[in-house]
Amino acid sequence: MRQRLARRLLSALLIVWAVTTVSFVISHVLPSDPARLVAGPQARPADVARIRTQLGLDRPIVIQYAHYLARLAHVGPTVADGAPVDPSHASCATVGPLHVDLGTSYQQRRPVVAILADRLPRTVFLGLAALVVQLALGVGAGVLAAAKRGSMLDHTAVGLSILGVSTPTFLLGVGLQFLLAHKLRLLPLDGFGRTFGEHAASIVLPALTLGIFGAAYYTRLVRDEMLDVLHDDHVRTARAKGLPERTVLTRHVLRNALLPLVTVVGMDLGALVGGAVVAEHLFRWPGVGALSVTAILDRDSPLIMGVVLVTSTAVVLANMLVDGVYALVDPRLRQ
Amino acid sequence: MQSGRGRPRPRARFLAHRGARVGVALVAAVVLFALVGPMLASHSPLASDFVRGIGDDQMPVGPSRHFLLGADRLFRDELARLAEGARLSLFIALSSTAVATTVGGVVGVLSGYYAGTWVDALLMRIVDVGLAFPFLLLVLAIGAALDETSAWTILAVLGLTGWLGTARVVRAKTMQVKALDFVAASRALGQSTWAILLRHIVPNVAGPLLVLATMSVAQMIVAESVLSYLGVGIAPPTPTWGHMLFEGQDYYASAPWLLLAPGTAIVVAVLGFNLVGEGLRDALDPRAL
Amino acid sequence: MRSIRARSKVTAAMHTSRVAVALALTCAVGTVALAPGCREPLAAPIAAASPGDALPRSGGTVHFASFADVRSLDPAVASEAFGGSLIAQMYAGLVEYDFDGSVVPDLAERFELSPDGRAYTFHLREGARFHDGDEVTADDVKRSIERALHPSTPNPFASFCENIEGYAAYAGGKADALSGVVVGGRYVVTIRLETPDATFLPILAQYALRPVCKSAGARFEATWAPCGAGPLKLLPGGWERGRSLTLVRHDGYFRAGLPRIDSVTFAFQMPIATQRFKFEQGELDAVKDLNQSDFVQFTSDPRWKAYGEFDAEKEIWGESMNVEHAPFDNIEIRRAVAAAIDRSKYRKLKAGLLHEANQVIPRDVPLYDPNFKGQEESYEAALAHMANAGYAYDPISKKGGYPGVIPYYTYPQSYPEYSGQVLQQQLATIGLRIELRLVSYPAYLALTRRRGRVAISPQGWQADYPDPSDFFEALFHSKSIADEDSNNTSFYKNAKVDDVLDRAHGELETATRARLYGEANRIICDDAPWAFAYASRRYEVHHPYLRGYRTHPVWAYFLRDAWLDRTPVKALAALGLLGAPTAPLGGLR
Repeated sequence: MRQRLARRLLSALLIVWAVTTVSFVISHVLPSDPARLVAGPQARPADVARIRTQLGLDRPIVIQYAHYLARLAHVGPTVADGAPVDPSHASCATVGPLHVDLGTSYQQRRPVVAILADRLPRTVFLGLAALVVQLALGVGAGVLAAAKRGSMLDHTAVGLSILGVSTPTFLLGVGLQFLLAHKLRLLPLDGFGRTFGEHAASIVLPALTLGIFGAAYYTRLVRDEMLDVLHDDHVRTARAKGLPERTVLTRHVLRNALLPLVTVVGMDLGALVGGAVVAEHLFRWPGVGALSVTAILDRDSPLIMGVVLVTSTAVVLANMLVDGVYALVDPRLRQ
Repeated sequence: MQSGRGRPRPRARFLAHRGARVGVALVAAVVLFALVGPMLASHSPLASDFVRGIGDDQMPVGPSRHFLLGADRLFRDELARLAEGARLSLFIALSSTAVATTVGGVVGVLSGYYAGTWVDALLMRIVDVGLAFPFLLLVLAIGAALDETSAWTILAVLGLTGWLGTARVVRAKTMQVKALDFVAASRALGQSTWAILLRHIVPNVAGPLLVLATMSVAQMIVAESVLSYLGVGIAPPTPTWGHMLFEGQDYYASAPWLLLAPGTAIVVAVLGFNLVGEGLRDALDPRAL
Repeated sequence: MRSIRARSKVTAAMHTSRVAVALALTCAVGTVALAPGCREPLAAPIAAASPGDALPRSGGTVHFASFADVRSLDPAVASEAFGGSLIAQMYAGLVEYDFDGSVVPDLAERFELSPDGRAYTFHLREGARFHDGDEVTADDVKRSIERALHPSTPNPFASFCENIEGYAAYAGGKADALSGVVVGGRYVVTIRLETPDATFLPILAQYALRPVCKSAGARFEATWAPCGAGPLKLLPGGWERGRSLTLVRHDGYFRAGLPRIDSVTFAFQMPIATQRFKFEQGELDAVKDLNQSDFVQFTSDPRWKAYGEFDAEKEIWGESMNVEHAPFDNIEIRRAVAAAIDRSKYRKLKAGLLHEANQVIPRDVPLYDPNFKGQEESYEAALAHMANAGYAYDPISKKGGYPGVIPYYTYPQSYPEYSGQVLQQQLATIGLRIELRLVSYPAYLALTRRRGRVAISPQGWQADYPDPSDFFEALFHSKSIADEDSNNTSFYKNAKVDDVLDRAHGELETATRARLYGEANRIICDDAPWAFAYASRRYEVHHPYLRGYRTHPVWAYFLRDAWLDRTPVKALAALGLLGAPTAPLGGLR
């Protein structure tokens, strides 16, 4: 078991390494110049060239990559509280003597670790809220649709799920914003807020936007998987035993839908960290998704790499979580 | 499980399925619109009409006798563009779905069947890397490599990213099927791997795969518009529904038909494919007997 | 066997029998979701509390928003126009642009030019204070200029100051001080130039060289907290990157009584639709990022018309043709393009926000000559030029023309994406076929400024400072050609033009300058490295209660003289469950 875990961790590390390396190469070979984007579209060549040198972009890509890896995790001076920081370690996050350095954003001129530390918790907050909406709406509608197959309820659920997948998030978001925040003024138009109450109110729209889109898929999945086993022997047996229908549905039927559901929930969980690009932008939620777009549009390589590192780690961790849950849900897979 | 003996054959079951018939009708209508529409349109989908396309308020004219669905922001006939766009949208959605479903299905079945072996490990790590990879960066890289964003870029992006999720779900399903008694029995009886895969695994996985694929056609049409939102959509002036939907959003307050026309087209197409998928599923599912 | 199970065909049939219902429902919901507007009417303007009262009042917080972001608030390194407008209000300069665009003394009480035209002496106001309370002195002026131009400072505009004496040595790291900036007393500073230079004052009035507090030190540091001598100062902790910025009144500002507002908040990266909603709800006091549809609504609504104003038109756009690249190495083809484009059609795509342009300078830049005809549009002439080029085209048989398809590089989600399609339709009528290549904006910048890469692309230029030299020299002087990052995207080189532009640059006499630029304009329009197309401007609407708010020719959101005359908004905020959750300092309003 311990060996298995070690192997999983190693492969997780390899995946993150592969993703970041490919991203590094891509962000450096794209036909564009970060220095030009720092200097602005109208800067003169001499100024652009100076800024390019100041950013270290005139070095060969291999050297830049080696530098990136060397700085990524290194040993440096332990920082005491309040003590002045050594300028060569100004962009590091430290745990004792262990330093993590993702460099300094070209555009913001701030350490990438500091930017991510601001953004990551907010994105996780939104991702979890969206997942709650997604599960509540999706599983709820799916179970109801399966239980009352052929009813108006079923048609409505299936109809809405089709509408859900055929509406792009940017339209869904604008529509919800228009209706709930502008016309009815029930919710704030955008933002993040400053108090817990405001956070809670501001998160509703982006979470709904993300959640409705995802729920559409869950509804179908849960409904179809449940219908698959509704007439299974063990379900019939359960019914024959006189168990209440609700118990049959939740304990015997829904359970069958769990395995595929766990797979997609796992993927969504990973993808929502940094994947909520449209919703975060639309509602100005200060998360990693909105940041990733800015970083990519600016060709801000240190920031791109930071975002990629965080998002790919999230995906990989979610995968490991799914595998763990698999083993719990379905003992046959334990080998 | 000798499928179909003494029962209506799948085709007959499919044809008896009323939902499927409605679905086929809708899909046929959309396909017909794509094939014939551009020929019947009295306007070119690419030519701006700076005289009749502009209203008194300097905005595109609304639906009228001259422009049945109004004019777009470049004062072109929205209907002609919708018909022209149907071709490319369907082409992109269907071919990227075909790519994604085929690759995802094959990878998922192999990986699930050989779960725990190096085949599975390798395939799943590739999927892991793909899923962990930043989508936008991938899109930009492909766009830059091809020097433009064309239908092929979009196809490449959607195909290359679409199969990953399918592979995961199919793998899980395959593992589930493989653990069932009758597969173990077949193996004990000495059936070859291929026979087991083709006779037992694939038929059982085909149902969920088809549902995934029909949903996928829908998602591909929509994803095309999200690519436009991210700035890597189809190169103008070529129309696609997704791009038209994206272009229409700025004008929702003054020219809502620019949203409604492509929006309705997408919903109808998506609904059609879903119903067909539903019918296919019921018809093909060997367990539905 | 487990796999054999019966599925009720009855329920399946029932399921499909109601598909029509589900479809109808779906479409109904779809209509609501997809068309939130359906000719959504505008809300009414929020009236001033005491419209009859002309006497400005103090206090209150102004709320603005922008689609854009601000990257830096340090004048020495800021690069974008939006940030520049905020910086200009946080840091006072020796000189400032007046409302008519001319350069007037500001932190300097007065200045004089030496008889040889090479030395400007500035006399500072006594008692002008930085945000931290220190007095602004000549030493601060010199230190700030040296900080901005130091080789370690990533200043995108440093080379604009290359005419200051000793710049080359200082910027090259060979001198420790900039010899051209001389302190002549606590309140006197002289800036000496290598040669007489008509662009010096307009460039000095830009933000890059404006005095910064002593805390900035002598070198650029990214961690420095912005501090200057302008009317507005940064609220400590009031800048959340990519989100919002709060500036508060600088009580020590040298113009007594100004600014009148207590504070202003800017929200960044706000989508255009959100801005409009917030503006209509009174959460924003003005809105500038309008799409064409919003613009038409606001300008055609009589209730709103009085509260909108156009910006200065200081951005020129055209189709830049690479004179080193086939087929545009042929002057006749370039002339054909310049004659073929119907500029009124470009305008119609964005009616009201664009003007037709057929010359180098947009109309609100000094020395613009309204009588100059520039590139004239004529379909016959365009066909004749094509024939002269050897690619005669017959519009009736549609035969002839240039055989190849020319890639046209532009970027998505931009006006040029649409104007490019109009160009494509128009050039097809003279036998030139172009194909749009949409690349990302960064790639567009890199590719179109690379030598020998792109044949034709849309290009725009916004005044860095209000003077024609900026447009002429950046776009058409041979010194702006480079293998990479070439601002002269046409790679246009004409010795005569270079000479005229150099002379105009050093000419201090306005009438002579106007004549010289007129000459350069004529040659360039005829050589047609660009087919000039349109000049753009922006429109800003504000609520009537935001008073004294005028459009500045250079700076956006210019708040120095603005004041709020608004009924307390508590009652309004109560309509929403939570009021304005994103507004920092919300209680102040």
